[in-house]
Amino acid sequence: MLKNYLKIAIKVLLRRKFFTLISLFGISFTLVVLMLVSALLDHAFGPLPPEVRTDRTLGIYTVRMLLTNNFERTGPAPYWFLDRYVRTLATPERVSLYSTQRSVAAYVAGEKHSLFLKRTDGEFWNILDFQFLEGGPFTAADEREANFVAVINQATAELFFKGQPAVGRTIAVDGQRFRVAGVVPNVPIFRVTSFADVWVPLSTAKSNGYLRESTGSFLALLLARHPGDLPKIKEELQTTLARVEFPDAREYSRVITAAETLFESVARGLFGSDRDARNYAGYLLGLLLGLAVLFMLLPAINLINLNVSRILERASEIGVRKAFGASSGTLVGQFVVENVLLTLIGGAIGFVASLFLLNALTGSGLIQYAHFQMNYRIFLYGLAAALFFGLFSGVYPAWKMSRLHPVDALRGQSL
Amino acid sequence: MIQLEEVEKVYRTDKIETLALSRCNLQVREGEFIAVMGPSGSGKSTLLNLIGLLDEPTKGRIMLNGSAIASFRDKQLARLRNEYIGFIFQSFHLINDLSVVDNVEIPLLYRRMSNGERRRLALAALERVGLTSRVHHFPSQLSGGQQQRVAIARAIVGKPKVLLADEPTGNLDSHMGDEIMSILFDLNRNENTTVVMVTHDPRLGEMAGRIVRLFDGRQVN
Amino acid sequence: MIKHLFKLVWNRKRSNLLLMFEIFFSFIVLVAVMTLAAYYQDNYRRPLGFVYESVWNIGIDMNAATNDVWSAEMVSTTQQLFLALQDFPEIESACGALSTPYGLGARQSVNEFKGRRVEMEVNEVTDTFLQTLNLQLLAGRWFDQTDDASNWKPVVINQRLSRELFGHDDPIGRPFEPWSSPGEEVRVIGVISDFRRDGEFVGPGNYLFERKRLDDPRHRPPANLLIKVRPGTNVTFEERLAARLQAVAREWSFEIRPLTRMREVAMKLRLVPVILLGLIAAFLMIMVGLGLVGVLWQNVTQRTKEIGLRRAKGATAAAIHQQILGETLVLTSLGVVLGLILVVQFPLLDLISSVSVTVYARGVLLALLVLYGLTLAASLYPSWLATKVRPAQALHYE
Repeated sequence: MLKNYLKIAIKVLLRRKFFTLISLFGISFTLVVLMLVSALLDHAFGPLPPEVRTDRTLGIYTVRMLLTNNFERTGPAPYWFLDRYVRTLATPERVSLYSTQRSVAAYVAGEKHSLFLKRTDGEFWNILDFQFLEGGPFTAADEREANFVAVINQATAELFFKGQPAVGRTIAVDGQRFRVAGVVPNVPIFRVTSFADVWVPLSTAKSNGYLRESTGSFLALLLARHPGDLPKIKEELQTTLARVEFPDAREYSRVITAAETLFESVARGLFGSDRDARNYAGYLLGLLLGLAVLFMLLPAINLINLNVSRILERASEIGVRKAFGASSGTLVGQFVVENVLLTLIGGAIGFVASLFLLNALTGSGLIQYAHFQMNYRIFLYGLAAALFFGLFSGVYPAWKMSRLHPVDALRGQSL
Repeated sequence: MIQLEEVEKVYRTDKIETLALSRCNLQVREGEFIAVMGPSGSGKSTLLNLIGLLDEPTKGRIMLNGSAIASFRDKQLARLRNEYIGFIFQSFHLINDLSVVDNVEIPLLYRRMSNGERRRLALAALERVGLTSRVHHFPSQLSGGQQQRVAIARAIVGKPKVLLADEPTGNLDSHMGDEIMSILFDLNRNENTTVVMVTHDPRLGEMAGRIVRLFDGRQVN
Repeated sequence: MIKHLFKLVWNRKRSNLLLMFEIFFSFIVLVAVMTLAAYYQDNYRRPLGFVYESVWNIGIDMNAATNDVWSAEMVSTTQQLFLALQDFPEIESACGALSTPYGLGARQSVNEFKGRRVEMEVNEVTDTFLQTLNLQLLAGRWFDQTDDASNWKPVVINQRLSRELFGHDDPIGRPFEPWSSPGEEVRVIGVISDFRRDGEFVGPGNYLFERKRLDDPRHRPPANLLIKVRPGTNVTFEERLAARLQAVAREWSFEIRPLTRMREVAMKLRLVPVILLGLIAAFLMIMVGLGLVGVLWQNVTQRTKEIGLRRAKGATAAAIHQQILGETLVLTSLGVVLGLILVVQFPLLDLISSVSVTVYARGVLLALLVLYGLTLAASLYPSWLATKVRPAQALHYE
């Protein structure tokens, strides 16, 4: 049965080559765009070294501080809050505090370079899985004693030392000098948590003002003992928030945040205007899916249009099939299968095109340190999109075809 | 086995109402060879489509083995067409995109059976109409007579009780037409297949066991 | 003829409906893109009001616990920084400012004035700001030391704000009413042509300068230093400058960037949404084009008989050509008319206040041009195909 459908489908596609070409172009073009977008999203949110333990890690990305004068401040957390209330959580196995990355200047051989500098504690290196190319991380002791040591990425090592071993040598960034402790592979700029060019201990900050800052630039990373602990960590943080005492209680009244994944944090930032820490990931997912469907709307309409206008061409076939015992349901099945086949071919073309484009995008260096690779997740997104597209654009023409009255169809009259 | 009681069929378009068939009573018994005759536009094809369950009467009722078909739903009708009835058309209506054997297999696609079994039955039907040498050709590569024989093979592959033929020889020369007719008579005589055939060739009509004459949508006997 | 074309399109309304929806939809997106493009183009050709070439910005991060409080120590450190800058012969002039050209973040002020809302951006700058950025003074004077002694607060405004508040009257010496209050008087001392801090792509706005004094601990130290360097100064100077500044203020962080580079970044930031929208519009256009080609082509093959008949009755190839093109135009126009009905609502309901009606009209016109061009291009091949139908061959079909 399916074989028969496929035979017919391929014949129909070949008979009207120009049509098929138009349809295939529309489908594969759309799917290329969708696959590229999902590759970008996957690059930002999916597991990618060094953030490989995604099933066990949560972060605190933004906090919302309510002020007594009815204003509020949203952004990275102040240091005192994370130090006093997050570091002390009992459920996580490890907690790391780190700063947002700052653009700083480095002068190499009279030329200025902008580098991103991130300040972290020692635990940072235990939670994230950096593969050191040379040397190793700095430690909690380095952080405690404010040793001027740094971990740098490959690009920075190349910039300063031109392929020579870097460990033990000194770099000057932002007017400070650090001894290189280790070299790690480049992390793409999308990775909010792990991205930087240079990582140095928190305590090497130029001034210790950050310890008392009321608005901050710090984030936390929490590692659970096992994946099942994540809800418990979320819960413990919420109960802890209830007893937060502000250094300046006249100014601040409450703090709202959640231990969450980056995706959840972005979703909360977009949708969470309420004064709670609910999980809005579903909303964001829905929004993305909705946009994807909207994006597929126009090419789908084209395909529907073409398919509907071809009913006449196939009237005889429809009549014969009905006369020999195909029910309307069976016919709908057949035409939907045909359409899905077409979109899957389009999907395959789109997949190959995306592979090339992703490689080109990686090679172009347009996005700093990005290294796009096709993986099974993107493949599955693409497949799902193609299937959805096929069903979406196939059902209406198929239904219309199946409604064709066999007597009219066999008489070969117009509809 | 098929009984039409006071059947009336009216075709409606936006402006015109056409009475295609009026108060028609007809009993088709098992093993009969009926010829439906009349000038063009007299309702022959309409009658055949009604017997073949492709169309529903505007008034009156059609009984199949004692039950009214008006009570059947699309799915059940499709199944009855599949198992009970085989169609042969004047203009063959073969699917040009499928090979001869694939065309013959079509009625079997809507039954549960293995691909091998389907192929075996299709080849047997083609043998029955003497076309074993052309199974992998496409319809466009065959002559008119050969195409009609493929259509007959398609009609009989599912071993239907009733064969409905709408001017099966209308597009063929007399030599080929005779060939087709001999196959139909053979099926009627040796396999007890009921045949209802529309024709306006009196020569063919006389060879049938019974003639139903139509004029302006009315039965004249 | 036109009536005939309308009839043809109307009779095929069901298959044309989806296509009309596509045209409608892409017209709306096109209008958005083209209006934005026209708006940017319109803004780009207006004078900027300052000179960014050979001006460098030094961003200061004082690494302080809060941004709202400053200490006397910070004020004196800032003064020392200015002294240090004077040592460099490469620097022609230096000034301090709250917000800097092409930089992010600025002070906005919204006031009630004679029952109207007056919005403006406010900057706090030192006396040398005028010469460092080459602002054009149209009337009155800029801040100078004579203001030290005055018991009222001097402000300089741009021409747009002057027009809005004083009409064609001379504003010099007049009280700046939105801010002035008994006991704390504010007076306009000068009018500059403009200071479009956000750069070429952003539309004109109201601007006001307050005077910042470096030697007054009540004034918050500037977050940005702007220096004008002599021509030919290169990056090696930047390194020396950074080291010197760092030596003066050990706990602070500095970010030195030429305004040309900040301008590049800011322009890119403004262009990204336009480019993204443009890409989406291009995608829609391609899809509409493909759909049109497909449907028209299908129409032509299905109507071989009709076309053959027309040829047999004496229609020339050119007439057939025109007929198919005409049908496309009618179809496009139906979608466009629907779109126009919607698009006209925006200026009527005053939904897009920052874009002037002329700019908007220009955007709509551009969208129309692109859309009609596209649909005509899409109908070329099918209509050519239609002219190839030979009357005899077509009529033979029956």
